[in-house]
Amino acid sequence: MELLNNLALGFGVALTPANIGFALIGALIGTLIGVLPGIGPIATIAMLLPLTFHLEPVSGLIMLAGIFYGAQYGGSTTAILVNLPGETSSVVTCIDGHQMARQGKAGSALAIAALGSFFAGTVATFIIAAFAPPLARVGQSFGAPEYFSLMVLGLIAAVVLAHGSVLKAIAMIILGLLFGLVGTDGQTASQRFTFDITQLSDGIDFAVLAIGVFGVGEVIANLTRGEESRSVMSEKITRLWPTREDFGLAWPAALRGTTLGSILGVLPGGGATLSAFAAYVLEKKIARDPSRFGRGAVEGVAGPESANNAGAQTSFIPMLTLGIPGNAVMALMIGAMTIHGIQPGPQVMSERPQLFWGMVASMWVGNLMLLVINLPLIGIWVQLLKVPYRFLYLSILLFCAIGVYTIGNSPFSVLIAAFFGVAGYIFMRLDCEPAPMILGFVLGPLMEENLRRAMRISGGDPMIFLNRPISLGLLIAAAILLLIVALPAIRRGRQEAFQES
Amino acid sequence: MTIDTPTPAPQHSPLHIIARKNVLAGLMFIAIAALGLWVSRDYPIGTALRMGTGYVPRLLCWILMGLGAAIVVQGLREKDAPPERTSWRQLMPIVVVTTSLIAFALAIEQLGLVLSIVLLVGIGAIAARDIKLWETLIAAVVLIALSWAIFILGLGLTIPVWPVW
Repeated sequence: MELLNNLALGFGVALTPANIGFALIGALIGTLIGVLPGIGPIATIAMLLPLTFHLEPVSGLIMLAGIFYGAQYGGSTTAILVNLPGETSSVVTCIDGHQMARQGKAGSALAIAALGSFFAGTVATFIIAAFAPPLARVGQSFGAPEYFSLMVLGLIAAVVLAHGSVLKAIAMIILGLLFGLVGTDGQTASQRFTFDITQLSDGIDFAVLAIGVFGVGEVIANLTRGEESRSVMSEKITRLWPTREDFGLAWPAALRGTTLGSILGVLPGGGATLSAFAAYVLEKKIARDPSRFGRGAVEGVAGPESANNAGAQTSFIPMLTLGIPGNAVMALMIGAMTIHGIQPGPQVMSERPQLFWGMVASMWVGNLMLLVINLPLIGIWVQLLKVPYRFLYLSILLFCAIGVYTIGNSPFSVLIAAFFGVAGYIFMRLDCEPAPMILGFVLGPLMEENLRRAMRISGGDPMIFLNRPISLGLLIAAAILLLIVALPAIRRGRQEAFQES
Repeated sequence: MTIDTPTPAPQHSPLHIIARKNVLAGLMFIAIAALGLWVSRDYPIGTALRMGTGYVPRLLCWILMGLGAAIVVQGLREKDAPPERTSWRQLMPIVVVTTSLIAFALAIEQLGLVLSIVLLVGIGAIAARDIKLWETLIAAVVLIALSWAIFILGLGLTIPVWPVW
């Protein structure tokens, strides 16, 4: 009953005209950037962070969340019709989705991707509603040592689950922690790494860093790569409904994808992309005839597309209940909350039930909108694919510049964003993923605070982290993860999982 | 990699080895760590119990330096990793994008939003090799209208629109 009451409260907030409007804006922007290759949800959410400062907190978060899961819908359209991933989370959808399109089953593939995503979105919304309150209660019993250990586990899991080199990912986290130190030291009021620049004494603003690395950095990376040729399927999409045979194959795969995505989304470092890759591997493994994969297997679309949407949504659970971001998008959501003076953590649910339940309810509303936006209106989005990147990047660049400027009406922030843009490009060029850096930047100050508090509780004895059972358990889990990733067999398997494409 | 496919002869000259992705990445981390250590050379360190301003920064820099060294070693031990190549064509967007943002930052408070957008779009358009003049003009006009509608009309921000004399 409590669940129903909470959801009723949530829908009361989510169904006000203003919030329906912001969910719609989020869903539309999400679909747009999902369809367009070259701009992803991280860059978009970073660019819109400064705007949410001028909105109600609930409305801003509803819009940003809509962009994230909306992009999962849009990404599949480009993957199926153009054989280019609109988003990294739809990389695997290209494999079988585009083959289906070539066989004249584009409508069927699009419908299965959208229906699977909607099913996954609905299930994931209920999972959040059901599991968030007990998890938040656990979180409320946590003290400083438990939080510190949880963050250690979160960072390590993010490294293990990220693709690419583990060493580089750890180095990027350290770099993020270092960038977080720039400014005035809270304890001694002395300046650190400010290079005698007054504007740096307040530290680097989180939004400026994110817009620089993800917004400007991606623009530079795309421009250096040159424009790729896009051949949009020219024939008309005739039948926007799967055949009975396709449907029969798709729904069990959607069910499996939803389950897998929901679990992987909650893990630190998880989220949409990992879920989609894992779901594709799973479908191929359990298929009676794996050779159909790569030649237009329906399960290869239904599984990953359900999984990426489920994973995108359940990754909100640790962020909303514990205040711990599992991926870069969640780090940005934490940033959006702190802009409004909301301290993320387990108390959000009890102190601001409208915000929490309103957001959860809006996810289902947004998913329903996305089904309408994506299926009947698919033609409009296909037209958008014909917009060349040379118009897109000028708009992105301008919105980055204005967004950064409006954070503190400071032209200097635009210069910092430009600096981080170049840095972000170099990181991407050298295969150093910037996402762990953002996690380090966000978690750094929180870790330092909890470390200092834990030391005050114990009187300077570091054994406090091992004496408290929950803290010890979390640290053991972190150590096991580190050991696992060091084993050669696991390392190979991890590489294979990400090289499926 | 199978044995019977002919692979291009791996290049082992020192310059090619340094230009490998992993070696460059490791050197980058080492350089950042060295800069951090040099800047924080006078920060008081304190003890583990009563940490000074410099304790955490210097600790992190040393860890970063260690990781950087490990990544360099990893890169050196790779077999036939291709060296990175960078042409002027690839560097041009970096210069153009940075310049357009610097121009915007310098212009926004004196020249106002409209002229700053013209500057950013005008400079930024150089990075696109095949953009035509009329396309740039249309992009500038559309973006000015859009920014004005969103930021001034919609959000009511106090950004100067026209030059302040």
